[in-house]
This record gives sequence, structure tokens and C-alpha cells, in this order.
Amino acid sequence: MRNKKVTHKMERDIILDWWYPQAPEEVWECLTNAELLGEWFMKNDFKPIVGHKFQFRSKPIPVFNWDGIVYGTVLEIVPLKKIVYRWQGGAAPGKVHLDTTVTWILKEKNNGTQLRLEHRGFKGMRNLFARMVMEKGWKKLGTKKLPKTLEKLGHGQI
Amino acid sequence: MDRYNYDPFHAIADPGRRDILMMLTKEKLSINAIADNFDISRPAVSKHIKILYEAGFIAISEQGRERYCELSQKGFDEVKEWIIFFEQFWKQKMLNLEKLLNKQSHKKPKK
Repeated sequence: MRNKKVTHKMERDIILDWWYPQAPEEVWECLTNAELLGEWFMKNDFKPIVGHKFQFRSKPIPVFNWDGIVYGTVLEIVPLKKIVYRWQGGAAPGKVHLDTTVTWILKEKNNGTQLRLEHRGFKGMRNLFARMVMEKGWKKLGTKKLPKTLEKLGHGQI
Repeated sequence: MDRYNYDPFHAIADPGRRDILMMLTKEKLSINAIADNFDISRPAVSKHIKILYEAGFIAISEQGRERYCELSQKGFDEVKEWIIFFEQFWKQKMLNLEKLLNKQSHKKPKK
């Protein structure tokens, strides 16, 4: 019954498109070479091999109780075109535990590279917010901030 | 005492719990009223409510002999902050990559 494309869109969490004037080969190198990744992304032991388990390490973020370590597993590699990995990050026990996937898609475009990042798996959060916003009963909630926040999230502004 | 001991992402991952939150967007409801809307047992509904409460998504108050649930902002805030954090994080990384690529291009000029 549901339109497949819409469903797909509803499940998305964070999607960013960026264009770089360099060729896909160069961008690919920066996304898959551990040393280069360390320069612009995070320290890591990444290898572009399906099944490879690795870590990204960045500064801990005390506000979130996050130790700054991302646990990754390579899920898919299509040379020069696509990289998918699992992106898990823990915090103190019982606090937020992220179990998400990150997808990079490279496409040659206008003599450069169109790079798309998809960070998915916030467990339908956006979807829920969007549906909540559609409920008229929101007004009864009494707080002003929450509906506004939800509206922004529902429209993908945050 | 803003200490919640339940992961909001986990709390929201369950479709039944999402349904409960949806019901609460319409009005404040007693636990019994919520349970009446579900096929699952009353204890199972209570467990879901406890999880939502601990993750900061709902507030519980007592009125007479009934316990009422309503939406609370805390859980939503935590989730929102994570999503904002990551959007900023990725944007910054995309910019870093741009800088690195430019640097690389200068180092290895194309023929």
C-alpha cells in the first residue's frame, strides 16, 4: 500500500550531498586510506574489506557521556562508488547506544565528484516526529518549545 | 535530578512504545486507558510505560486512584541533541575533506 519511495524517504536520518572538484579516485582514496582518513576524519584502523572491524577514535564528548570511540564493521564495498559500514558507539551503561549505518556514495559529476553521506538508523526517530507533528492534538501539550522542535525535525531542518 | 537511566533510542525503537507516544500526543491518558487500546497484557503495557518514563519521554502523575501519563520533553531533547550533533559533525567533516583534497591536488598537480 505504501509508496516505496516515500517509505524510503521517511526512514532516512541524516543525508548530506557535497560536490568536490576532484575525481572520484581521489575522493575514494580519502575515504578508504586509513592514513588519509586520519587527516580529515578520525584516527582509525579502517580497511576497505567487507567484514573488517575497525574503530574511529575522536575526543570524548562528556555532555553526551560518549567516550569518542566508534565501532565499525565494513558491510559493503563497491570500488570508487560505494562504502557502507556499521557505526556503533556506546556511552555509559544504559545511556544512548548508537547502532547506525553510514553509507558513502560517489558519483562522477561536472568533472568532479558528487559525494553523498547517509547516516541512518536513529530508529525511526524522524518518522515518529513527523507523524507527531501531523497530530492536531499537539496544541494540548501546553509547552511551546516541544512542538516547534518536533516540527523542525519532521521537516528535516535539524 | 535530570538523570534518566534508559537509552531513548532504545525506548523509541519499539513500535508499541511509539504507538503509546502517539496516543499521548492527543491527550493525557491513564495507564488503564492506554492498556485498553492494546491487545497485550496490562503488565506488558506497564513495562513499556516504565521504559518510556525512564527514558524521559513521559511524565506520570497520580490523580485519585489512577496514574496518568503525558508527554515529557526530556527524552525528545536528548535524541534531538544527538541528531543535531551528528549533522554538525558530518558537515564539518565534509569541509575537512574539501581542505584535504585541495591540499592533495596542489601537492600532486594533474598533468
